[in-house]
Amino acid sequence: MPPAAPTTLGSDRGAFDAIVVGAGPAGTSAALALAQKGFRVLLLERGDYPGAKNMFGGMMAYCPAPEELVPGFWERAPWERAVTKRVLSVVGGGSSTSLVFQAASDSGRPSAGGGSTSDQTLTGFTLFRPQFDRWYAEQAVAQGVTLLTGCRVEGLLLHDGAVWGVRIAGAEDVVEAPVVVACDGTLSLVAQQAGLHTGVRAEHVALGVRALYALSEEGIDERFALDGREGATYEFLGCTEGIRGGSFMYTQTETVSVGMVLHLDSLKARGVPPYGLLERFVASPPAASLLRAARLVEYSAHLLPEAGTRMVPRLSAAGLLVAGDAAGLCYTNGLIQEGMNLAMTSGLLAGRVAAEALAEGDLSARRLARYAGELERSFVLKDMKTFDRAVDFMREDRLFTVYPRVISALMEDLYRSDGTPKEKIGPLARRALKGELPVRALIADLFRGGRGYL
Amino acid sequence: MIVDDLFDLVSYRIHPEAHIVVDAEGCKDCAHRACTFSCPARCYTWSEERARVEFAYEACLECGTCLLVCDRKAVDWHYPPGGYGVRFRLT
Repeated sequence: MPPAAPTTLGSDRGAFDAIVVGAGPAGTSAALALAQKGFRVLLLERGDYPGAKNMFGGMMAYCPAPEELVPGFWERAPWERAVTKRVLSVVGGGSSTSLVFQAASDSGRPSAGGGSTSDQTLTGFTLFRPQFDRWYAEQAVAQGVTLLTGCRVEGLLLHDGAVWGVRIAGAEDVVEAPVVVACDGTLSLVAQQAGLHTGVRAEHVALGVRALYALSEEGIDERFALDGREGATYEFLGCTEGIRGGSFMYTQTETVSVGMVLHLDSLKARGVPPYGLLERFVASPPAASLLRAARLVEYSAHLLPEAGTRMVPRLSAAGLLVAGDAAGLCYTNGLIQEGMNLAMTSGLLAGRVAAEALAEGDLSARRLARYAGELERSFVLKDMKTFDRAVDFMREDRLFTVYPRVISALMEDLYRSDGTPKEKIGPLARRALKGELPVRALIADLFRGGRGYL
Repeated sequence: MIVDDLFDLVSYRIHPEAHIVVDAEGCKDCAHRACTFSCPARCYTWSEERARVEFAYEACLECGTCLLVCDRKAVDWHYPPGGYGVRFRLT
């Protein structure tokens, strides 16, 4: 990594065709796409190294974008485990009920294409962002991108609504370039300055808190029933003490990420500290047995975009494009959580549109607006739109309070054997719902849920 | 796990100047004081003695929660200068 030396840039005006703000998955993808078309790219990162500011407890879903930018990406990238097992648990009262998806395992086979299953499109990858982002940015540097770390962008240079560079904090310096790609994360301060949105709000985001626990590789294989480099993701609904959100456990090679994702407006209304919730979740039955004797090694927190297309800003202006979390491209619908794949794909598309515009010498708002069209045609905005109603449905408080209790009560009665005659599911369900939820509300929720998912 | 352990495990390079400035006068009569329980790094505390919110920037995780839960615009929020602030090693 080159040392931070922003003060040397001022004398070098016109040295860059494009500036990318933020060396996360979106920014590095944009930088690579531009560099591959022969443009001189400056990639700015405020951390000491790419990934230093990133926490991630999750899984990156497979997507083809990075392979187009770095040949052999999935074989070479430093991921931890290839996820073949996905568990969704509903926790209520003293019991939990789970749905387990297990992709066909093929662990004897050399890990072609990255996963240990034969179908990598069924696979996601757990990874550590300080390693992954750093490695990915190194690939960009190898392809000619200039990376400056320890560089915080303070603001855009704007003239008549057109962006023509950035101001770097502390250095009293500016760097000019005909196009800037803003990949500065969820708060999206760069796009806000350009007037593409009026500020991210509490009801748009979720707060993720995460504790990292160390265990041996064999210990994780055994506890989570995994083979080779296989990994598992566990999601839990009903462990958030009434706050909209969920808890998770994801396996890395020798560590387990344990955390919670909490809608910020709901957390604010409930008045409970997130680390207290995390402490109680870690001590609760589903988590405690999996983490027995594991050693706590790190804690982190971050905001995630969580409002579907509602929080996607205008995606470009004259001389400016926005990608990744900064563009609100991240969602969860309760079953699927995606973000990094959307970041990489949007970064790639932003970089390509910027490169075409540079080649034509037209960086106008009108020309760069083609980026939004590219995103609309790709899976990125298509998926976000497909699940917009489901994302809305996730704002229903009952999903996190009433339903976990009802499902647990029903399953407990279903399996209970106490010498009295058993009943069919209908009467059991009516009893579980009694006092919890009027049937009319249940039907309304089923209808809304159906529109979201079916 | 106990909560205090969490905070001991975070590493930082602390800049001598605060990157977030809180207008403790402006938020004196805030009804919810959401910053004091929402901040995942415990940077905000309510001081009964001084009857105001106290803020310490050193343990900040740079998430932006305080900026978004404050409805009095009392939080002047910036990332720390380049190279400073929280440094995740493992995550």
